[in-house]
Amino acid sequence: MTMSFSAPLVKIQSLHKSYGPHIQVLKGLDIEMKPGERVVVIGPSGGGKSTLLRVMMGLEKIDSGSISFGGKPYISSESADRKTEIDTEVRRSIGMVFQHYTLFPHLSVIQNLILAPCKVRGESRASATKRAQALLERFGLGAKANAYPAQLSGGQKQRVAIARALMLDPKLMLFDEVTSALDPELVAEVEQVILQLAAQSMPMMIVTHDMWFAKNIASRVIFCAGGVVVEDGPPEQVLGAPKEERTRDFIDRVFHIRH
Amino acid sequence: MALDFSIILRFQEALALGLWTTVKLTLICVVLGCSLGFFIGLARTSRSTLLRAVSSVYVEFFRGTPVLVQLFWIFFCLPLILGVELSNLTSGVIALTLYMGAITSETFRASLKSIGPEQLDACVALGLPRRVQVTNVILPQAVLRAIPTLLSNCVSLFKESALVSAVGMADLMFVGQNISNNTARPIEVLTVVALIYFLIAFPLTRAVTLVERRVLAKLAI
Ligand SMILES: Nc1ncnc2c1ncn2[C@@H]1O[C@H](COP(=O)(O)OP(=O)(O)OP(=O)(O)O)[C@@H](O)[C@H]1O
Ligand SMILES: [Mg+2]
Repeated sequence: MTMSFSAPLVKIQSLHKSYGPHIQVLKGLDIEMKPGERVVVIGPSGGGKSTLLRVMMGLEKIDSGSISFGGKPYISSESADRKTEIDTEVRRSIGMVFQHYTLFPHLSVIQNLILAPCKVRGESRASATKRAQALLERFGLGAKANAYPAQLSGGQKQRVAIARALMLDPKLMLFDEVTSALDPELVAEVEQVILQLAAQSMPMMIVTHDMWFAKNIASRVIFCAGGVVVEDGPPEQVLGAPKEERTRDFIDRVFHIRH
Repeated sequence: MALDFSIILRFQEALALGLWTTVKLTLICVVLGCSLGFFIGLARTSRSTLLRAVSSVYVEFFRGTPVLVQLFWIFFCLPLILGVELSNLTSGVIALTLYMGAITSETFRASLKSIGPEQLDACVALGLPRRVQVTNVILPQAVLRAIPTLLSNCVSLFKESALVSAVGMADLMFVGQNISNNTARPIEVLTVVALIYFLIAFPLTRAVTLVERRVLAKLAI
C-alpha cells in the first residue's frame, strides 16, 4: 500500500443518521477521500448508500458527526441543540446526479443547464448558453438543446443531468445509481460520459450495482453494510479478493460466480 | 303552436348587452378569483397552522354552501354590515370572486402537491436559492399542471354567473328572462339563451382536452 501525503478532499467523521426514532441508517461512518480519487460505494439494498450521498449533498439532516471538504467542515451537528449546520458556500462545489430523472420538465434542455449558472452565479445568459452548448456537443447531445426532457430517452436525460451539474464547475461529483432506472442498452452511453469525466480526473463518489462499471471506474471501493464501512480498499482487493466475510458473500451474490 | 325565432332579431342588441355583462363579469372574476385561489392554495399547504386553518374554513364554507345563497348574502347582508351601498357589479364581482377563489384554490393545491420531492432535491443540489426554486421551478409547473382544471373552473364560473340575474344584474340570463316574459315566447328566447351559453362554454371545454394533449403531453407533466 502506498501512502499519500496529500490532504483529504473529503473527510467524513463518525457520521450518524436516522430517519425518525427507529430507523438508524448510518451508525458511525468514517470515510476519507483524497483529491483525484474515484470512490465507488457498494453494498446491500437499504444499507444507506443513497442516504450517505444525500447527506453529503446537504439534502438530509444528520444526528451527529461532521463532513469536511477541502479541509473545511461544511456539514456538522456538534452543537448542543443537535441542529445540522450546512455551509452552503462549500456545498456549491459539489454536484449530484440522482437515480430518477430530476430534470425540470417545463424547461428545455438548454434552459435546464443555464438556470443555476444564471441564477446562482449571475452569469450572463449568452455566456452560460455558450458553455452549455459546448458541453452538450461533448456529450453527443448538441442536437437536443431545444428539446424538452419528455422528448429524450432515459440515457439522454441522465447525460443532460450530468451536464447540468457540470455547469457549476463542481470539485466533486456524486452519482447515485444513475443507470439503475435505464433500459440495459442505454446504460453504456451514460457510463461512457462518467468515464470521460474520470479521464479528466474529476473526483467522484459513485453508488452503483453494476460491478463491471465499478471495476472500470473505481480507484477505490468501499463496501458499506449495516450503516458502517465494512471494507475499504483498491478495487482489486474489494471486488477481486475481499478480506471480509460479509464483503465476500455480497460479491459472490452479485457476481454469481467467484473470480 | 308555431315557433317564431325571428323575434330574437328584434332583441339582438339587448341580448348582446346582456352577454357583454356576463362575459365582463366572468373575465374579471377569473382574473381575481385565480389570483386569490393561488394564494389560498399556498396558504392551505403552508406550515403555519393559523394560515391553514383560516384558508380551510374559507374554502370549505364556500364549497359547502349554494352559490345562490352566497350571492344573496353579499348583495343584501354585506352592505348592511359595511354600512355602504355596493353597486350591482361590485357585489357580483365580490361574490363570484370569492366563489372562484375557493374552487381554484383546490385546483392549485392539488397541482402543488403533485410536484415530486425530487424536484426540490434537484434545486438544492444545484444550489438554487429559495426564491428561484419558487418562481422558476415550482410556480411554472404548478400553473401548467393546473391549466386543464382551471379552464374547467372558468367554464363553471361562466355558467354559475347566470345566478346574478336573480339579484337583478342585467346579464345574459336576466335579459333573456325579461324578453321571454314580455314577449310570452319562452321557448324561442330561452332556447337561444341556452345556445349562446353553450356556444361559448363548449369550445372552452374542448380547449381543456387540447391543452392536455398538446402542451402537457409534450412536457409530460
Ligand atoms: N426518507 C426516508 N424516511 C424513512 N426511511 C428512509 C428514508 N429514506 C431511506 N429510508 C430507509 O433508510 C434505509 C437506507 O436507505 P438508502 O436509500 O440510503 O439505502 P441504499 O443503500 O441506497 O439502498 P438501495 O441500494 O436500495 O438504493 C432503508 O431502510 C430505507 O428504507
Ligand atoms: Mg439507493
